[in-house]
Amino acid sequence: MGLDELLALLKTDVAIETIAAIIKILVVLVLCLQVPPLMVWVERRAPAMMQRRKGPNRVGIFKWRLYGLIQSLADTVKLVFKQEIVPRGANKVAYHLAPIFGVFTALLIACAIPFGNDLTIFGQKIGLSVVRLDVGFLFILAISSLAVYTVTLAGWSSNSKYALLGSLRASAQMISYEIPLGMSLVPIVIIFGTLDLNQIVVNQGAWPWAWGVIRAPVSFLLFLICMFAETNRAPFDLAEGESELVAGFHTEYNSAKFAAFFLGEYVSMFVLSCLASTIFFGGWQAPFLPYEKIVDLVGGYAWIAALVGFVVLILKACFFMWVYVWVRWTLPRFRYDQLMGLGWKFMLPVGLVNLLVTALVMAALEFR
Amino acid sequence: MVSINNYLILATVMFLCGTLGVLFRRNLLLILMSIELMLNAVNLVFVSGSRLVNNLDGQIMVFFIITVAACEAGVGLAMVIALYRRYGTVETSFLRMLRG
Amino acid sequence: MFYASAFLITICSVMVVTNRNPVVSAIYLVGDLFLLAAVYASLDAHFVAAIQVLVYAGAIVVLFMFVIMLLNLGPEGRAHLRIPAPEFAVLILTVIGFMAIGTMLLTAQPTGVGGDLSAAAIAADGGNTLNIAKLLFTKFLWPFEISSILILLAVIAAIVIAKKDKKQVVHG
Repeated sequence: MGLDELLALLKTDVAIETIAAIIKILVVLVLCLQVPPLMVWVERRAPAMMQRRKGPNRVGIFKWRLYGLIQSLADTVKLVFKQEIVPRGANKVAYHLAPIFGVFTALLIACAIPFGNDLTIFGQKIGLSVVRLDVGFLFILAISSLAVYTVTLAGWSSNSKYALLGSLRASAQMISYEIPLGMSLVPIVIIFGTLDLNQIVVNQGAWPWAWGVIRAPVSFLLFLICMFAETNRAPFDLAEGESELVAGFHTEYNSAKFAAFFLGEYVSMFVLSCLASTIFFGGWQAPFLPYEKIVDLVGGYAWIAALVGFVVLILKACFFMWVYVWVRWTLPRFRYDQLMGLGWKFMLPVGLVNLLVTALVMAALEFR
Repeated sequence: MVSINNYLILATVMFLCGTLGVLFRRNLLLILMSIELMLNAVNLVFVSGSRLVNNLDGQIMVFFIITVAACEAGVGLAMVIALYRRYGTVETSFLRMLRG
Repeated sequence: MFYASAFLITICSVMVVTNRNPVVSAIYLVGDLFLLAAVYASLDAHFVAAIQVLVYAGAIVVLFMFVIMLLNLGPEGRAHLRIPAPEFAVLILTVIGFMAIGTMLLTAQPTGVGGDLSAAAIAADGGNTLNIAKLLFTKFLWPFEISSILILLAVIAAIVIAKKDKKQVVHG
């Protein structure tokens, strides 16, 4: 087959889509998997900064002190080389499956987030999320409701009292907070009129006063709080509360599986941060710079503008990750009954009232 | 879509598995799970039928079936808990009060 | 694509019914439901697929797992596998029933309440969810409202049935 024929084959629609899909998958995968090591470093240096001490700052390669940036690498190497001990009486299927669920659901949610506007490459319109779904929202809610299984299966399969208690509490917490999470996103659907995430970003525009956070502030607050509860982080980390339940549902896990749990947790934090910035903070839209203006600035190359959008989204997600770390090291932990009471008795009614008010306001605006 | 026969065969297989589960397992919770399996087989028939006749009725029916299945699972599990409190087990061989 | 899902669904269904441990059966049920959602998505029923994972796999089966774990059920013993006559009749009737449904479907006309919407028409009209919403809130409004009352009733019933009775004798 000559070079011309090969090029002609590559220019067909199917080939372009396939290559684009492979590139998108690789980019998202690498991006998501790079976040946990960085986050672990931030997680240890930031509270050090807040508590006026130094965190790990000595790990370096050979003679260069890298200020502890590769502490995560050192930790990972240590974890991987540890001996893996499976508790006697542990259910084999569930024990080995539970950490995988966490990483699986987190990466799957990352597939639906738009990282940039639609590009037209060789005449083919390609969206910059790994899949282009017209039920983007529902897909994300559905997959995040599968994340409960990680915790449930991990605790039960460990054949240990503390693990079971921790996992039951954590899963009850996660399913309780799924409802206000969904409830806070329904007004967004009403306001923007679409379930497609890219369309929502486009509708928000570049001006910050049209962003989701201004149009639906109560939703944003509810979503933020539920975000913490869904990832078992910050004031809601009763399940892995170090002072209460040994290590909660991952007590009996060690070496690579333990690393997998933390990978899943940080990736889901990152992915939910990306989601929050997509829905409420304009996603890949740079503030005060409409997309067309960016395209003009870079001389008409749409892919550079898309890259700018990508970087903007990552920066916004980093802001939310910083909020995650900040809140974790600032607020004390909720007690379990306080936590459940907050979810059911406060956030659910607030979510419902929010939904009602949004629906009434939108209906009134329509009939004007 | 491939021809509807394939979907129907798959639905029949699922329904048969569910029926076998209901008939031969003695654990109440497993019986409930097999009932859910049967409901899902019926959902599959509805969705593929909806695709066949180009009508959205089937999908709306599935929506309602999922809703009703959720309610039924909730009430069924509440009954299982009450039975467990009464008999100390969820084996079906202990439920013989209505027998002659 | 469909054949791969169908094969996996069959395996998962058989594993649900034949496993000795209820939690592992529940895991296979989740796999079943997830694969079934994939099949629905391939049939252009995106909304139903998302709802299936959200409600069925993400809530109902979690509820099952909670009950199994709280009741601390272990694996049960071996089951006997003879097939007595009444059960056999049930199985035969099942297969006949599905064949009847198949025949009805193959000779069906699109005259339901939902109207005649081909895949292209749905896609041009704003997507699957929009059209389902249009139907759900106009022609199917009564069932929608009644099902919400039904859910409320189910919640109340579940709480009342599972509530601990102070005077009750445990393990009678």
